[in-house]
Amino acid sequence: MNHPQEPTARPIKILITKIGLDGHDRGSRVVAAHLRDAGMEVVYTPPWQEINAVVKLALEEDVDVIGLSCLATDHLLVPKLMQALRDQGLAHIKVVVGGIVPDEDEALLLDAGVSRVFHPGSSLDDITQTITDLAGPAAVPDEDR
Amino acid sequence: MARKHAAAIENSATDAHAEWRRNYERQLPNDKAITNRSGITIKPLYEPQDWSDASYMSDLGYPGQPPMTRGIYATMHRGRTWSQRQLIGLGTPQDYNQRLQRLIAAGTNAISLIPCNSVYRGFDIDEVDPLLVGTCGTTVNTIEDMDVCFRDIDIGRISTAMNDPLPFTLLALLLGVAKRRGIPWDRITGTSNQSDYISHFVANHMFFRLALPASRRVLVDHIAFCNERVPNWNPLSVVGQHMQQAGASPAQAMAFTLSTAIQYAEDCIDRGMDPEFFLPRFTFFFDISISFFEEIAKFRAGRRLWQKLVRQRFGVEDPKAWRFKFHAQTSGVDLTRQQPLNNIARVTAQAMAGIFGGLQSLHTDAYDEVLSTPAEAAAQIAVSTQNILRDEAHLTDVIDPLAGSYYLETLTNQMEDKIESLISRIDAAGGMYKAVEQGMVQTLIGESAREFANRVETGEQIVVGVNAYRIDEDGSTRQPLERPEPRRIQEQIDRLRLFKSERDRRQVQSALDQLAAAANDTNVNIFGAVVDAAGAGATHGEIVACLRREMGSGEPLIAI
Amino acid sequence: MSTAVDDAAAELVERLLGGQRAALARAITHVESGAAIARRILQAVQPGAGTARVIGFTGAPGVGKSSLINAVIREFRSRSKTVAVAAVDPSSPISGGAILGDRLRMGEHGTDDGVFIRSISSRGHLGGISATTAQVVDLMDAAGWNVVIIETVGAGQSEVEITQIADVSVVVCAPGLGDDVQAIKAGILEIADVLVVNKADQPMADETRKQLVAMLGLRRAERRNVPVLTTVATTGEGVDRLVSVVEQQCQRYPTPKRGQRPHKRLQTLIAQAAARQLQERLATSNEAMIHDLCTRVSRGELSIDSAARTLLDAVLK
Repeated sequence: MNHPQEPTARPIKILITKIGLDGHDRGSRVVAAHLRDAGMEVVYTPPWQEINAVVKLALEEDVDVIGLSCLATDHLLVPKLMQALRDQGLAHIKVVVGGIVPDEDEALLLDAGVSRVFHPGSSLDDITQTITDLAGPAAVPDEDR
Repeated sequence: MARKHAAAIENSATDAHAEWRRNYERQLPNDKAITNRSGITIKPLYEPQDWSDASYMSDLGYPGQPPMTRGIYATMHRGRTWSQRQLIGLGTPQDYNQRLQRLIAAGTNAISLIPCNSVYRGFDIDEVDPLLVGTCGTTVNTIEDMDVCFRDIDIGRISTAMNDPLPFTLLALLLGVAKRRGIPWDRITGTSNQSDYISHFVANHMFFRLALPASRRVLVDHIAFCNERVPNWNPLSVVGQHMQQAGASPAQAMAFTLSTAIQYAEDCIDRGMDPEFFLPRFTFFFDISISFFEEIAKFRAGRRLWQKLVRQRFGVEDPKAWRFKFHAQTSGVDLTRQQPLNNIARVTAQAMAGIFGGLQSLHTDAYDEVLSTPAEAAAQIAVSTQNILRDEAHLTDVIDPLAGSYYLETLTNQMEDKIESLISRIDAAGGMYKAVEQGMVQTLIGESAREFANRVETGEQIVVGVNAYRIDEDGSTRQPLERPEPRRIQEQIDRLRLFKSERDRRQVQSALDQLAAAANDTNVNIFGAVVDAAGAGATHGEIVACLRREMGSGEPLIAI
Repeated sequence: MSTAVDDAAAELVERLLGGQRAALARAITHVESGAAIARRILQAVQPGAGTARVIGFTGAPGVGKSSLINAVIREFRSRSKTVAVAAVDPSSPISGGAILGDRLRMGEHGTDDGVFIRSISSRGHLGGISATTAQVVDLMDAAGWNVVIIETVGAGQSEVEITQIADVSVVVCAPGLGDDVQAIKAGILEIADVLVVNKADQPMADETRKQLVAMLGLRRAERRNVPVLTTVATTGEGVDRLVSVVEQQCQRYPTPKRGQRPHKRLQTLIAQAAARQLQERLATSNEAMIHDLCTRVSRGELSIDSAARTLLDAVLK
């Protein structure tokens, strides 16, 4: 039924963003560029996004994964984001966090539904692989299968 | 006879070199090429052919004299070492005041004030999620807050590094407190540490508040106002640190910083200001990475270039303006979460590079910075590191002690060439402001950041505990988290609301109207209006919001 | 005969026409993927499409295009119009990856339900960026958005194609272009329905405006009336005028009604589909014949044009 010229899968689509008040974005830029080079479509935003704006953006862009960069204490807001995603029926979107997250707070994020926390020193290949695995089942939307 | 002897020595030197080369290649057949972070190839050995004493006067000279390579003062660290400035933050103005009292009791007279991230973003604490308030710095929004920060402290006798991006509300609040206490403004000393809006815009968007054109005007107004009314205040610190933290190589960071300084100087000159007058008050702020020799060379080359730029481009003949005064901070990017106590060793090496580079002021990072906001115990070790290097290791006995090293002098020259060629590129793009507006600088920094990340990824750059020498850790070396108590933050938010309700509303509104009018009238000094508004009881957030509304908030220009 | 795909498409289209944002987002994903379901979705939404005003914005990086679009969105919102944006980004030809939509995400409209922003990557689609874009515009249109803005970067072939989709094409410049004006004039002046000199608070703004007017004066008569406006996106100055002029230009087309859409965009869509199908059929046509044609062309017995005509005749037979 598929036309020979038509791709049936699509690239993984990820939103890389920052919530809260911090603006340092070296890490998120490096990761975004690496994921692009790995063939993903990366929606990249400037820092300081509001939680509701991230949810709206994720919905409108229909992303598979959200990657949050948190270097100050902005990770404390992540549970609120997770709740907002669930409220909007976006529980299928996987969320990963990278940056400076104290050990004491990691459980807080995982309990809130975050799939993985990347600490400083994480390898780019590990990040890429993890995101690929997480996005795997969702990369081809349900209606196609 | 003597000539024959000399010839024999020369011959033997050539022979000896050839023999060394043979042995070297035989014993190290697979020698890998080494390039530093700035892209300069590093040879295994440096000799008089690379650099010789014949260039002593042109390349080095004497401390406090052109070309300033050896330091900006005749006495350098032998006379006065450096200001030990530690960033202290967290919590409420009361918390800040208590820490400050302890520091001052311990003999400190140079302090710094680092505000909460909400302040950096231009908001009052009642405008953001309370979860974040006070977790990264002190919550200062009002003249009352500033008064509490400096309660029982003579603000006419301390020097404050004010981490205060434009429109410089914190300095405005401090000047308001001084006025209340009857302290003349010429006794207020310190530096507007975060005045370099270009670095904020380019590097991390951290403190970026107003649109670029608005920022450009506010900074020049600030410099003009301070030069006239707060004459012992340094209104400008040009910041390479942000750019290097964001991924610029040491050579790029130095070049972009110098280009930024050129831009600001030209903007001031366009406003009719005299460089003889304002340039001596320019100061700089750099990152010190762990690339030891490269950093030392970066600072020495930068010092030489600044002297040259000030004289050649701006024709300034006051030697005070040739002085490349800089504060430096050890690089947080080099620190690792793995085996965090190793960071103490890293900070030590970084600090040594800064000291040998001839800095005037130093901040050493706490080892736990990569884990969370530094704990007090870790910050204490960072201070001790400086004391140990100065008082135990005797690093400061001799001025510019590494001068004359074939390697370091060659590297200093090479870094200078690299930096100069980058400055030419910025010049060709129409100056730093234009280059940033076009995204050129962001792109270069982004490429550099990726290149370094790839080096670590491939193992070409070893990072102990990250891509080599890994061990299993139990986390027992980690300090417990320090966070302000939510109750105290809530009290602070309540105090702000109380302050807002009790102040003279009409007076505040009229000051904000004046500020808005100043924003739309280039004949009025905006910073003067900011100072008046702060004194009249307007809050930090209200002042920034007013200027954003009148002048535009702009948008980040991110290049990936 | 109803299949699972038909059912899924019908359900999605129903939700899309009902104004559900998630449904629109997912439908766009299907269209971008070129999945089988996409064709059914596109067919099903057609009767609902045709009422949106479609505006194309183009201009080189650094002219402040995103600030301007943000200001334009603000203006449309104040006129009680809902706005959907399709931000077109080129994808890397090497990895296929892309950095998308980093230009419009500055908070202001981030939480406004009257605004929908979607990035579109070219994904190496046959037919270029515009093939996907035209389809996405159809979906946004059918989902009930009053205004659809297409944002493209730079000035190239895709921009010219975008004009076939947009009702009005706005070209944004910055002051002090100097020689750059020479560089942009060729293609861009031909496609612009409205020219905007943004950052008009900078020196040279008026000079640039005059330069553009002068250049238009040298063009064909119908080009001479292209308005050249000035704006300061950061303060909003001149934006209301821009929006009024754009709305005026839209009046060139009859007020659209559901089911009676103007044919301009449809024509583009059909032509693109035709080109795509033709190219596919050419690629899969008689190998022996192609071999024979190649041989004759290489011997100099046949011109390339004649060979092409022969091949077309055979394929279309």
